[in-house]
Amino acid sequence: MPNLGAYPPLVRGSVQVALTYRGRMVLWVVTGFFPLLLMAVWLTVVAESGPPAGWTAGDFIAYYVAAAVLWHLSGQHVVWEWDADMRSGDLSSKLLRPVHPFHSYAAWDVGHRLVMLSLLLPALVAAVLLVPGLGYDVDAPRVLLVVLAVVLAYGLSLLMASTVALLGFWSTQTTNVWMLWWGLGSFTSGWVAPLELMPGWLRDVSVVLPFRSTLGFPVELLTDRLDAGQTAVGFAVGLVWTALFAGLYLLGWRRGVRRYQAVAG
Amino acid sequence: MVIEVEGLAKHFRVHERGAGVRASLRAVVRRSYRDVRAVQDVTFSLAEGEVVGFLGPNGAGKTTTLKCLSGLLHPTAGSVRVLGHEPHRREAAYLSRIAMVMGQRNSLFWDLPALDAFEVHRTVYRVPSARYREVLAELVDLLELQPLLAKQVRVLSLGERMRCELAASLLHRPQVLFLDEPTLGLDVNAQAALRGFLRGYNERHGATVLLTSHYMGDVTALASRVLVIDAGTLRFDGDLTALVEAHAPNRRVRVSLRDVVPREVLARFGEVVEVDGAVVTLQVARAGTAALAARLLSELVVEDVSIEDPPIEDVIRAVFAGA
Repeated sequence: MPNLGAYPPLVRGSVQVALTYRGRMVLWVVTGFFPLLLMAVWLTVVAESGPPAGWTAGDFIAYYVAAAVLWHLSGQHVVWEWDADMRSGDLSSKLLRPVHPFHSYAAWDVGHRLVMLSLLLPALVAAVLLVPGLGYDVDAPRVLLVVLAVVLAYGLSLLMASTVALLGFWSTQTTNVWMLWWGLGSFTSGWVAPLELMPGWLRDVSVVLPFRSTLGFPVELLTDRLDAGQTAVGFAVGLVWTALFAGLYLLGWRRGVRRYQAVAG
Repeated sequence: MVIEVEGLAKHFRVHERGAGVRASLRAVVRRSYRDVRAVQDVTFSLAEGEVVGFLGPNGAGKTTTLKCLSGLLHPTAGSVRVLGHEPHRREAAYLSRIAMVMGQRNSLFWDLPALDAFEVHRTVYRVPSARYREVLAELVDLLELQPLLAKQVRVLSLGERMRCELAASLLHRPQVLFLDEPTLGLDVNAQAALRGFLRGYNERHGATVLLTSHYMGDVTALASRVLVIDAGTLRFDGDLTALVEAHAPNRRVRVSLRDVVPREVLARFGEVVEVDGAVVTLQVARAGTAALAARLLSELVVEDVSIEDPPIEDVIRAVFAGA
Protein backbone atom coordinates (compact mmCIF):
# COMPACT_ATOMS: atom_id res chain seq x y z
CA MET A 1 0.00 0.00 0.00
CA PRO A 2 1.66 3.25 -1.09
CA ASN A 3 2.16 5.87 1.59
CA LEU A 4 -0.33 8.39 0.15
CA GLY A 5 0.04 10.42 3.34
CA ALA A 6 3.44 11.41 1.97
CA TYR A 7 1.80 13.45 -0.78
CA PRO A 8 0.71 16.50 1.27
CA PRO A 9 4.19 17.23 2.71
CA LEU A 10 5.94 16.42 -0.57
CA VAL A 11 3.54 18.63 -2.53
CA ARG A 12 3.90 21.33 0.10
CA GLY A 13 7.68 21.11 -0.20
CA SER A 14 7.43 21.31 -3.98
CA VAL A 15 5.17 24.39 -3.76
CA GLN A 16 7.68 26.04 -1.44
CA VAL A 17 10.53 25.26 -3.84
CA ALA A 18 8.48 26.55 -6.78
CA LEU A 19 7.84 29.80 -4.94
CA THR A 20 11.54 30.33 -4.25
CA TYR A 21 12.47 31.94 -7.55
CA ARG A 22 10.37 34.91 -8.67
CA GLY A 23 12.07 35.16 -12.06
CA ARG A 24 11.13 31.59 -12.87
CA MET A 25 7.52 32.29 -11.94
CA VAL A 26 7.42 35.23 -14.36
CA LEU A 27 8.79 32.99 -17.11
CA TRP A 28 6.10 30.40 -16.36
CA VAL A 29 3.38 32.99 -16.88
CA VAL A 30 4.98 34.14 -20.13
CA THR A 31 5.36 30.60 -21.50
CA GLY A 32 1.84 29.86 -20.29
CA PHE A 33 0.56 32.00 -23.10
CA PHE A 34 2.41 30.06 -25.84
CA PRO A 35 -0.67 28.05 -26.84
CA LEU A 36 -2.36 31.36 -27.56
CA LEU A 37 0.20 31.99 -30.32
CA LEU A 38 -1.31 29.07 -32.21
CA MET A 39 -4.69 30.64 -31.56
CA ALA A 40 -3.48 33.89 -33.12
CA VAL A 41 -2.49 32.00 -36.27
CA TRP A 42 -5.97 30.48 -36.55
CA LEU A 43 -7.65 33.83 -35.87
CA THR A 44 -5.69 35.24 -38.80
CA VAL A 45 -6.90 32.37 -40.97
CA VAL A 46 -10.50 33.06 -39.91
CA ALA A 47 -10.09 36.77 -40.63
CA GLU A 48 -8.59 36.24 -44.07
CA SER A 49 -10.34 33.10 -45.36
CA GLY A 50 -13.44 32.69 -43.24
CA PRO A 51 -14.14 30.04 -40.59
CA PRO A 52 -12.41 26.71 -41.51
CA ALA A 53 -14.82 23.79 -41.15
CA GLY A 54 -17.24 26.14 -39.41
CA TRP A 55 -14.80 27.13 -36.64
CA THR A 56 -15.36 30.77 -35.75
CA ALA A 57 -12.94 33.09 -33.99
CA GLY A 58 -14.88 32.50 -30.75
CA ASP A 59 -14.50 28.74 -31.15
CA PHE A 60 -10.74 29.03 -31.54
CA ILE A 61 -10.43 31.33 -28.54
CA ALA A 62 -12.51 29.03 -26.37
CA TYR A 63 -10.48 26.01 -27.52
CA TYR A 64 -7.01 27.48 -27.01
CA VAL A 65 -7.71 29.15 -23.67
CA ALA A 66 -8.74 25.73 -22.36
CA ALA A 67 -5.82 24.06 -24.17
CA ALA A 68 -3.41 26.45 -22.46
CA VAL A 69 -4.54 25.16 -19.06
CA LEU A 70 -4.35 21.52 -20.15
CA TRP A 71 -0.93 22.07 -21.67
CA HIS A 72 0.30 23.11 -18.25
CA LEU A 73 -1.21 20.04 -16.69
CA SER A 74 1.13 17.88 -18.70
CA GLY A 75 3.33 15.75 -16.48
CA GLN A 76 6.15 15.81 -19.00
CA HIS A 77 8.45 17.78 -16.69
CA VAL A 78 9.10 14.69 -14.59
CA VAL A 79 11.12 13.24 -17.49
CA TRP A 80 13.75 15.92 -16.96
CA GLU A 81 13.73 15.39 -13.21
CA TRP A 82 14.18 11.62 -13.51
CA ASP A 83 16.86 12.06 -16.15
CA ALA A 84 18.88 14.55 -14.11
CA ASP A 85 18.63 12.42 -10.96
CA MET A 86 19.64 9.21 -12.73
CA ARG A 87 22.67 10.86 -14.29
CA SER A 88 23.82 12.55 -11.09
CA GLY A 89 22.95 9.67 -8.76
CA ASP A 90 20.48 11.85 -6.84
CA LEU A 91 17.88 9.16 -7.44
CA SER A 92 19.62 7.33 -4.58
CA SER A 93 18.17 9.74 -2.02
CA LYS A 94 14.66 9.04 -3.30
CA LEU A 95 15.26 5.29 -3.43
CA LEU A 96 16.18 5.31 0.25
CA ARG A 97 12.83 6.80 1.28
CA PRO A 98 10.02 4.42 2.17
CA VAL A 99 8.01 5.95 -0.67
CA HIS A 100 8.26 4.81 -4.29
CA PRO A 101 10.18 7.42 -6.33
CA PHE A 102 7.18 7.69 -8.67
CA HIS A 103 5.26 9.36 -5.86
CA SER A 104 8.17 11.68 -5.05
CA TYR A 105 8.34 12.88 -8.66
CA ALA A 106 4.55 13.02 -9.01
CA ALA A 107 4.23 15.10 -5.84
CA TRP A 108 7.01 17.38 -7.06
CA ASP A 109 5.15 17.86 -10.34
CA VAL A 110 1.78 18.42 -8.67
CA GLY A 111 3.30 21.12 -6.46
CA HIS A 112 4.90 22.91 -9.38
CA ARG A 113 1.72 22.65 -11.49
CA LEU A 114 -0.32 24.13 -8.64
CA VAL A 115 1.92 27.17 -8.44
CA MET A 116 2.05 27.57 -12.19
CA LEU A 117 -1.72 27.31 -12.58
CA SER A 118 -2.37 29.66 -9.68
CA LEU A 119 -0.41 32.26 -11.62
CA LEU A 120 -1.84 31.44 -15.01
CA LEU A 121 -5.48 30.90 -14.14
CA PRO A 122 -6.24 34.49 -13.07
CA ALA A 123 -4.81 35.69 -16.37
CA LEU A 124 -6.92 33.21 -18.29
CA VAL A 125 -10.04 34.00 -16.27
CA ALA A 126 -9.48 37.65 -17.04
CA ALA A 127 -9.25 36.73 -20.72
CA VAL A 128 -12.54 34.85 -20.51
CA LEU A 129 -14.22 37.85 -18.92
CA LEU A 130 -12.70 40.48 -21.16
CA VAL A 131 -12.79 38.83 -24.59
CA PRO A 132 -16.21 39.42 -26.12
CA GLY A 133 -18.13 36.26 -26.90
CA LEU A 134 -15.75 33.96 -25.02
CA GLY A 135 -17.50 31.66 -22.62
CA TYR A 136 -18.17 28.02 -21.92
CA ASP A 137 -21.76 26.83 -21.94
CA VAL A 138 -21.51 24.11 -19.33
CA ASP A 139 -23.89 22.69 -16.77
CA ALA A 140 -23.01 20.90 -13.55
CA PRO A 141 -22.85 17.34 -15.01
CA ARG A 142 -20.56 18.56 -17.79
CA VAL A 143 -18.33 20.35 -15.28
CA LEU A 144 -18.03 17.05 -13.42
CA LEU A 145 -17.16 15.20 -16.63
CA VAL A 146 -14.60 17.85 -17.56
CA VAL A 147 -12.99 17.62 -14.12
CA LEU A 148 -12.80 13.82 -14.45
CA ALA A 149 -11.33 14.16 -17.95
CA VAL A 150 -8.73 16.64 -16.68
CA VAL A 151 -7.74 14.30 -13.84
CA LEU A 152 -7.50 11.45 -16.36
CA ALA A 153 -5.45 13.67 -18.69
CA TYR A 154 -2.99 14.56 -15.96
CA GLY A 155 -2.73 11.01 -14.64
CA LEU A 156 -2.13 9.54 -18.10
CA SER A 157 0.33 12.26 -18.99
CA LEU A 158 2.26 11.66 -15.78
CA LEU A 159 2.32 7.89 -16.29
CA MET A 160 3.43 8.23 -19.92
CA ALA A 161 6.24 10.60 -18.98
CA SER A 162 7.31 8.46 -16.01
CA THR A 163 7.35 5.32 -18.16
CA VAL A 164 9.52 6.99 -20.78
CA ALA A 165 11.73 8.32 -17.97
CA LEU A 166 12.50 4.74 -16.94
CA LEU A 167 14.39 4.33 -20.21
CA GLY A 168 17.09 6.19 -18.32
CA PHE A 169 18.04 2.86 -16.75
CA TRP A 170 19.12 1.69 -20.20
CA SER A 171 19.95 4.84 -22.14
CA THR A 172 21.12 8.40 -21.64
CA GLN A 173 18.76 9.67 -24.34
CA THR A 174 15.56 9.73 -22.31
CA THR A 175 14.73 13.39 -22.84
CA ASN A 176 15.35 13.11 -26.59
CA VAL A 177 13.09 10.05 -26.77
CA TRP A 178 10.45 11.99 -24.88
CA MET A 179 10.73 14.98 -27.21
CA LEU A 180 10.28 12.64 -30.20
CA TRP A 181 7.32 10.94 -28.50
CA TRP A 182 5.74 14.25 -27.54
CA GLY A 183 6.44 15.80 -30.96
CA LEU A 184 4.72 12.94 -32.78
CA GLY A 185 1.90 13.00 -30.27
CA SER A 186 1.28 16.71 -30.65
CA PHE A 187 -0.35 16.07 -34.05
CA THR A 188 -2.92 13.70 -32.54
CA SER A 189 -3.39 15.41 -29.17
CA GLY A 190 -5.10 18.52 -30.48
CA TRP A 191 -2.09 20.68 -29.69
CA VAL A 192 -1.00 21.57 -33.24
CA ALA A 193 -4.61 22.14 -34.28
CA PRO A 194 -8.07 21.08 -33.11
CA LEU A 195 -8.54 17.50 -34.30
CA GLU A 196 -11.73 18.42 -36.15
CA LEU A 197 -9.56 20.40 -38.55
CA MET A 198 -7.15 17.53 -39.17
CA PRO A 199 -7.46 15.07 -42.09
CA GLY A 200 -10.04 12.34 -41.50
CA TRP A 201 -7.53 9.49 -41.21
CA LEU A 202 -5.51 11.38 -38.61
CA ARG A 203 -8.68 12.11 -36.65
CA ASP A 204 -9.59 8.41 -36.69
CA VAL A 205 -6.13 7.39 -35.54
CA SER A 206 -6.09 10.01 -32.80
CA VAL A 207 -9.23 8.54 -31.23
CA VAL A 208 -7.38 5.34 -30.31
CA LEU A 209 -3.96 6.84 -29.50
CA PRO A 210 -3.18 8.07 -25.96
CA PHE A 211 -2.33 11.68 -26.82
CA ARG A 212 -5.84 13.05 -27.35
CA SER A 213 -6.78 11.97 -23.83
CA THR A 214 -4.11 14.30 -22.46
CA LEU A 215 -5.37 17.47 -24.16
CA GLY A 216 -7.93 17.35 -26.97
CA PHE A 217 -10.51 15.20 -25.22
CA PRO A 218 -11.08 17.37 -22.12
CA VAL A 219 -11.04 20.53 -24.24
CA GLU A 220 -13.58 19.10 -26.69
CA LEU A 221 -15.70 18.04 -23.73
CA LEU A 222 -15.56 21.54 -22.27
CA THR A 223 -16.41 23.19 -25.58
CA ASP A 224 -19.39 20.88 -26.08
CA ARG A 225 -18.14 19.15 -29.21
CA LEU A 226 -18.77 15.55 -28.16
CA ASP A 227 -21.98 13.54 -27.93
CA ALA A 228 -22.58 10.93 -25.23
CA GLY A 229 -21.10 8.08 -27.30
CA GLN A 230 -17.94 10.01 -28.17
CA THR A 231 -17.59 11.04 -24.53
CA ALA A 232 -17.81 7.42 -23.37
CA VAL A 233 -15.27 6.33 -25.97
CA GLY A 234 -12.97 9.16 -24.91
CA PHE A 235 -13.04 8.08 -21.28
CA ALA A 236 -12.66 4.40 -22.19
CA VAL A 237 -9.64 5.06 -24.39
CA GLY A 238 -8.03 7.21 -21.68
CA LEU A 239 -8.61 4.60 -19.00
CA VAL A 240 -7.27 1.75 -21.17
CA TRP A 241 -4.09 3.71 -21.93
CA THR A 242 -3.72 4.65 -18.27
CA ALA A 243 -3.93 0.98 -17.28
CA LEU A 244 -1.54 0.04 -20.07
CA PHE A 245 1.05 2.63 -19.07
CA ALA A 246 0.67 1.69 -15.40
CA GLY A 247 1.51 -1.90 -16.38
CA LEU A 248 4.41 -0.76 -18.58
CA TYR A 249 5.69 1.44 -15.78
CA LEU A 250 5.67 -1.41 -13.27
CA LEU A 251 7.39 -3.73 -15.73
CA GLY A 252 9.96 -1.09 -16.65
CA TRP A 253 10.58 -0.34 -13.00
CA ARG A 254 11.16 -3.96 -12.01
CA ARG A 255 13.55 -4.54 -14.89
CA GLY A 256 15.20 -1.14 -14.83
CA VAL A 257 15.92 -0.58 -11.17
CA ARG A 258 18.08 -3.71 -11.16
CA ARG A 259 20.36 -1.89 -13.56
CA TYR A 260 20.67 1.27 -11.46
CA GLN A 261 24.31 1.95 -10.72
CA ALA A 262 23.89 4.72 -8.12
CA VAL A 263 26.76 6.61 -9.71
CA ALA A 264 28.72 9.50 -8.26
CA GLY A 265 29.09 8.54 -4.69
CA MET B 1 22.62 -11.03 13.58
CA VAL B 2 21.35 -7.71 12.28
CA ILE B 3 23.40 -7.80 9.08
CA GLU B 4 24.29 -11.03 7.32
CA VAL B 5 26.23 -10.96 4.08
CA GLU B 6 27.25 -14.15 2.35
CA GLY B 7 29.20 -14.46 -0.89
CA LEU B 8 28.16 -10.98 -1.99
CA ALA B 9 29.25 -10.02 -5.49
CA LYS B 10 28.43 -6.95 -7.55
CA HIS B 11 29.60 -6.59 -11.12
CA PHE B 12 29.10 -3.63 -13.42
CA ARG B 13 29.35 -3.46 -17.18
CA VAL B 14 30.97 -0.21 -18.18
CA HIS B 15 31.50 1.39 -21.57
CA GLU B 16 35.15 2.04 -22.41
CA ARG B 17 36.52 4.52 -24.87
CA GLY B 18 40.00 5.75 -25.59
CA ALA B 19 41.00 9.40 -25.67
CA GLY B 20 40.91 11.56 -28.79
CA VAL B 21 38.63 12.20 -31.75
CA ARG B 22 39.55 8.94 -33.51
CA ALA B 23 38.58 6.89 -30.47
CA SER B 24 35.33 8.86 -30.21
CA LEU B 25 34.47 8.11 -33.85
CA ARG B 26 35.38 4.45 -33.41
CA ALA B 27 33.12 4.26 -30.37
CA VAL B 28 30.18 5.52 -32.46
CA VAL B 29 30.47 2.48 -34.72
CA ARG B 30 31.77 -0.12 -32.32
CA ARG B 31 31.24 -0.01 -28.58
CA SER B 32 33.48 -1.84 -26.23
CA TYR B 33 32.52 -2.80 -22.73
CA ARG B 34 34.35 -4.11 -19.73
CA ASP B 35 33.02 -6.01 -16.75
CA VAL B 36 34.06 -4.44 -13.47
CA ARG B 37 33.99 -6.79 -10.49
CA ALA B 38 33.41 -4.18 -7.81
CA VAL B 39 32.74 -6.68 -5.02
CA GLN B 40 33.54 -10.39 -5.00
CA ASP B 41 32.58 -13.10 -2.57
CA VAL B 42 32.30 -10.86 0.48
CA THR B 43 31.03 -12.50 3.66
CA PHE B 44 30.57 -10.93 7.09
CA SER B 45 27.94 -10.28 9.72
CA LEU B 46 27.20 -7.61 12.31
CA ALA B 47 25.46 -8.08 15.64
CA GLU B 48 22.97 -5.63 17.10
CA GLY B 49 24.63 -2.48 18.41
CA GLU B 50 28.00 -3.15 16.77
CA VAL B 51 29.94 -0.27 15.24
CA VAL B 52 32.20 -1.50 12.47
CA GLY B 53 34.64 0.47 10.36
CA PHE B 54 34.85 -0.42 6.69
CA LEU B 55 38.29 0.40 5.35
CA GLY B 56 39.84 0.28 1.94
CA PRO B 57 41.47 2.43 -0.72
CA ASN B 58 39.44 4.29 -3.36
CA GLY B 59 37.53 1.89 -5.60
CA ALA B 60 37.99 -1.01 -3.18
CA GLY B 61 34.27 -1.78 -3.04
CA LYS B 62 33.29 -0.16 0.28
CA THR B 63 30.57 2.11 -1.06
CA THR B 64 29.28 -0.56 -3.44
CA THR B 65 28.88 -2.95 -0.51
CA LEU B 66 27.08 -0.29 1.50
CA LYS B 67 24.78 0.41 -1.43
CA CYS B 68 23.95 -3.29 -1.68
CA LEU B 69 23.18 -3.35 2.05
CA SER B 70 20.96 -0.28 1.86
CA GLY B 71 19.05 -1.60 -1.14
CA LEU B 72 20.31 0.89 -3.71
CA LEU B 73 22.02 -1.84 -5.72
CA HIS B 74 20.92 -5.34 -6.64
CA PRO B 75 23.64 -7.87 -5.85
CA THR B 76 24.96 -9.83 -8.81
CA ALA B 77 25.38 -12.90 -6.60
CA GLY B 78 25.28 -13.89 -2.97
CA SER B 79 22.80 -13.10 -0.27
CA VAL B 80 22.29 -10.03 1.92
CA ARG B 81 19.91 -9.83 4.84
CA VAL B 82 19.54 -6.77 7.04
CA LEU B 83 17.03 -6.77 9.91
CA GLY B 84 15.56 -9.87 8.31
CA HIS B 85 14.90 -8.11 4.99
CA GLU B 86 16.45 -8.52 1.56
CA PRO B 87 17.50 -4.89 1.02
CA HIS B 88 17.19 -4.86 -2.78
CA ARG B 89 13.43 -5.38 -2.43
CA ARG B 90 13.35 -1.97 -0.74
CA GLU B 91 10.23 -2.71 1.25
CA ALA B 92 8.90 0.32 3.12
CA ALA B 93 9.12 -1.67 6.36
CA TYR B 94 12.86 -2.06 5.74
CA LEU B 95 13.62 1.47 4.56
CA SER B 96 11.82 2.87 7.59
CA ARG B 97 14.31 1.13 9.88
CA ILE B 98 17.58 2.09 8.23
CA ALA B 99 19.39 5.23 7.15
CA MET B 100 22.24 5.81 4.80
CA VAL B 101 24.25 8.98 5.06
CA MET B 102 26.44 9.74 2.08
CA GLY B 103 28.88 12.59 2.42
CA GLN B 104 28.41 13.60 -1.18
CA ARG B 105 24.61 13.37 -1.34
CA ASN B 106 21.89 15.82 -0.56
CA SER B 107 18.67 14.34 0.75
CA LEU B 108 17.40 17.73 1.90
CA PHE B 109 15.57 20.26 -0.25
CA TRP B 110 18.28 22.51 -1.63
CA ASP B 111 16.05 25.59 -1.79
CA LEU B 112 14.26 25.20 1.54
CA PRO B 113 15.27 25.55 5.17
CA ALA B 114 16.29 22.27 6.80
CA LEU B 115 13.30 22.43 9.13
CA ASP B 116 10.93 22.11 6.17
CA ALA B 117 12.82 19.04 4.97
CA PHE B 118 12.63 17.55 8.47
CA GLU B 119 8.85 17.99 8.39
CA VAL B 120 8.68 16.15 5.07
CA HIS B 121 10.81 13.35 6.53
CA ARG B 122 8.52 13.14 9.52
CA THR B 123 5.48 12.45 7.36
CA VAL B 124 7.24 10.23 4.85
CA TYR B 125 8.57 8.05 7.68
CA ARG B 126 5.26 8.27 9.57
CA VAL B 127 6.93 9.46 12.77
CA PRO B 128 4.27 10.35 15.36
CA SER B 129 4.24 14.09 16.13
CA ALA B 130 5.12 13.73 19.82
CA ARG B 131 8.07 11.47 19.08
CA TYR B 132 9.19 13.74 16.24
CA ARG B 133 9.30 16.74 18.58
CA GLU B 134 11.25 14.72 21.13
CA VAL B 135 13.79 13.37 18.60
CA LEU B 136 14.15 16.72 16.88
CA ALA B 137 14.81 18.48 20.17
CA GLU B 138 17.48 15.90 20.97
CA LEU B 139 19.12 16.23 17.56
CA VAL B 140 18.98 20.03 17.58
CA ASP B 141 20.65 20.02 20.96
CA LEU B 142 23.36 17.45 20.22
CA LEU B 143 24.19 18.66 16.73
CA GLU B 144 23.80 22.35 17.61
CA LEU B 145 21.32 22.93 14.82
CA GLN B 146 19.21 25.75 16.26
CA PRO B 147 20.89 28.59 14.29
CA LEU B 148 20.70 26.53 11.07
CA LEU B 149 17.08 25.43 11.05
CA ALA B 150 15.63 28.49 9.32
CA LYS B 151 18.42 28.87 6.76
CA GLN B 152 18.10 27.67 3.18
CA VAL B 153 20.12 24.47 2.79
CA ARG B 154 21.95 25.98 -0.18
CA VAL B 155 23.53 28.68 1.99
CA LEU B 156 24.82 26.28 4.66
CA SER B 157 28.49 25.40 4.82
CA LEU B 158 29.46 21.79 4.13
CA GLY B 159 29.83 21.04 7.82
CA GLU B 160 26.49 22.63 8.65
CA ARG B 161 24.79 20.76 5.83
CA MET B 162 26.27 17.45 6.94
CA ARG B 163 24.91 17.99 10.45
CA CYS B 164 21.47 18.70 8.98
CA GLU B 165 21.77 15.64 6.70
CA LEU B 166 22.60 13.50 9.68
CA ALA B 167 19.69 14.90 11.67
CA ALA B 168 17.27 14.27 8.78
CA SER B 169 18.47 10.69 8.44
CA LEU B 170 18.05 10.03 12.18
CA LEU B 171 14.59 11.55 12.70
CA HIS B 172 12.95 8.15 12.37
CA ARG B 173 15.49 6.62 14.79
CA PRO B 174 16.94 4.02 12.41
CA GLN B 175 18.16 0.77 13.90
CA VAL B 176 20.86 0.40 11.27
CA LEU B 177 23.06 3.23 10.05
CA PHE B 178 25.17 3.07 6.92
CA LEU B 179 27.61 5.95 6.95
CA ASP B 180 29.61 6.58 3.81
CA GLU B 181 32.30 9.18 4.45
CA PRO B 182 30.14 11.13 6.91
CA THR B 183 32.95 13.51 7.83
CA LEU B 184 34.10 14.19 4.29
CA GLY B 185 35.22 17.78 3.91
CA LEU B 186 34.52 18.72 7.53
CA ASP B 187 36.98 20.68 9.62
CA VAL B 188 38.60 19.07 12.65
CA ASN B 189 36.09 20.48 15.13
CA ALA B 190 33.09 19.41 13.07
CA GLN B 191 34.60 15.93 12.64
CA ALA B 192 35.06 15.58 16.38
CA ALA B 193 31.51 16.80 17.07
CA LEU B 194 30.05 14.35 14.57
CA ARG B 195 32.05 11.44 15.99
CA GLY B 196 30.93 12.30 19.49
CA PHE B 197 27.34 12.46 18.40
CA LEU B 198 27.49 9.12 16.56
CA ARG B 199 29.09 7.41 19.55
CA GLY B 200 26.33 8.78 21.77
CA TYR B 201 23.60 7.74 19.33
CA ASN B 202 24.96 4.20 19.25
CA GLU B 203 25.14 4.01 23.04
CA ARG B 204 21.69 5.48 23.63
CA HIS B 205 19.74 3.60 20.98
CA GLY B 206 21.81 0.47 20.41
CA ALA B 207 21.96 1.18 16.69
CA THR B 208 24.14 -0.97 14.46
CA VAL B 209 26.56 1.16 12.47
CA LEU B 210 28.68 0.34 9.43
CA LEU B 211 30.99 3.20 8.60
CA THR B 212 33.36 3.93 5.76
CA SER B 213 35.84 6.73 6.03
CA HIS B 214 39.17 7.84 4.74
CA TYR B 215 39.79 9.54 8.05
CA MET B 216 41.27 6.95 10.37
CA GLY B 217 40.24 9.16 13.27
CA ASP B 218 36.60 8.30 12.50
CA VAL B 219 37.32 4.61 12.67
CA THR B 220 39.53 4.63 15.76
CA ALA B 221 37.06 6.88 17.60
CA LEU B 222 33.96 4.85 16.77
CA ALA B 223 34.75 1.29 15.79
CA SER B 224 36.38 -1.51 17.70
CA ARG B 225 36.05 -3.88 14.78
CA VAL B 226 37.11 -3.26 11.19
CA LEU B 227 36.53 -4.82 7.82
CA VAL B 228 39.31 -4.22 5.33
CA ILE B 229 38.42 -4.57 1.66
CA ASP B 230 40.68 -4.24 -1.33
CA ALA B 231 39.96 -4.83 -5.01
CA GLY B 232 36.46 -6.00 -4.06
CA THR B 233 37.70 -8.74 -1.75
CA LEU B 234 37.54 -8.78 2.03
CA ARG B 235 41.10 -8.93 3.41
CA PHE B 236 40.52 -8.64 7.12
CA ASP B 237 37.65 -8.90 9.57
CA GLY B 238 38.48 -8.45 13.22
CA ASP B 239 39.08 -5.98 15.97
CA LEU B 240 41.30 -3.02 15.45
CA THR B 241 43.93 -4.24 17.94
CA ALA B 242 44.23 -7.57 16.13
CA LEU B 243 44.65 -5.73 12.85
CA VAL B 244 47.48 -3.67 14.29
CA GLU B 245 49.15 -6.72 15.83
CA ALA B 246 48.83 -8.74 12.65
CA HIS B 247 50.12 -6.10 10.31
CA ALA B 248 52.43 -4.04 12.50
CA PRO B 249 54.96 -6.49 14.01
CA ASN B 250 57.00 -3.61 15.46
CA ARG B 251 56.28 -0.92 18.02
CA ARG B 252 57.97 2.40 18.55
CA VAL B 253 59.66 3.41 21.75
CA ARG B 254 60.20 7.12 22.17
CA VAL B 255 62.70 8.11 24.85
CA SER B 256 63.84 11.48 26.16
CA LEU B 257 67.43 11.09 27.42
CA ARG B 258 69.25 13.41 29.75
CA ASP B 259 72.29 13.50 27.44
CA VAL B 260 72.80 13.14 23.73
CA VAL B 261 73.89 9.56 22.95
CA PRO B 262 75.79 8.60 19.76
CA ARG B 263 73.69 6.87 17.09
CA GLU B 264 75.89 3.73 17.06
CA VAL B 265 75.22 3.28 20.79
CA LEU B 266 71.48 3.67 20.25
CA ALA B 267 71.57 1.10 17.43
CA ARG B 268 72.51 -1.56 19.97
CA PHE B 269 69.01 -1.23 21.45
CA GLY B 270 67.01 -1.41 18.21
CA GLU B 271 66.38 0.19 14.84
CA VAL B 272 66.85 3.94 15.15
CA VAL B 273 63.93 5.67 13.42
CA GLU B 274 64.61 9.24 14.44
CA VAL B 275 67.09 11.22 16.51
CA ASP B 276 66.21 14.75 17.55
CA GLY B 277 68.90 15.82 20.00
CA ALA B 278 68.29 13.82 23.16
CA VAL B 279 64.87 12.62 21.98
CA VAL B 280 65.15 9.27 20.21
CA THR B 281 62.63 7.01 18.51
CA LEU B 282 63.49 3.33 18.29
CA GLN B 283 61.61 0.54 16.58
CA VAL B 284 61.63 -3.00 17.94
CA ALA B 285 59.71 -6.23 17.58
CA ARG B 286 56.40 -6.09 19.43
CA ALA B 287 57.40 -8.96 21.74
CA GLY B 288 60.64 -7.26 22.78
CA THR B 289 59.18 -3.91 23.72
CA ALA B 290 59.11 -4.44 27.48
CA ALA B 291 62.63 -5.85 27.56
CA LEU B 292 63.92 -2.91 25.55
CA ALA B 293 62.30 -0.41 27.86
CA ALA B 294 63.91 -2.13 30.84
CA ARG B 295 67.34 -2.10 29.15
CA LEU B 296 67.02 1.57 28.27
CA LEU B 297 66.11 2.46 31.83
CA SER B 298 68.98 0.47 33.29
CA GLU B 299 71.72 1.44 30.81
CA LEU B 300 70.89 5.08 29.97
CA VAL B 301 69.68 8.08 31.93
CA VAL B 302 66.09 8.30 30.78
CA GLU B 303 63.84 11.26 31.61
CA ASP B 304 60.74 10.02 29.82
CA VAL B 305 59.65 6.98 27.80
CA SER B 306 56.53 6.15 25.77
CA ILE B 307 55.58 3.13 23.71
CA GLU B 308 53.39 3.59 20.66
CA ASP B 309 51.83 1.54 17.93
CA PRO B 310 52.58 2.82 14.45
CA PRO B 311 49.93 5.18 13.02
CA ILE B 312 46.84 3.25 11.87
CA GLU B 313 47.31 4.71 8.38
CA ASP B 314 50.65 2.90 8.18
CA VAL B 315 49.02 -0.33 9.31
CA ILE B 316 46.33 -0.06 6.67
CA ARG B 317 48.98 0.66 4.05
CA ALA B 318 50.79 -2.48 5.20
CA VAL B 319 47.57 -4.49 4.85
CA PHE B 320 47.06 -3.30 1.28
CA ALA B 321 50.71 -3.79 0.44
CA GLY B 322 50.47 -7.34 1.75
CA ALA B 323 47.31 -7.90 -0.29
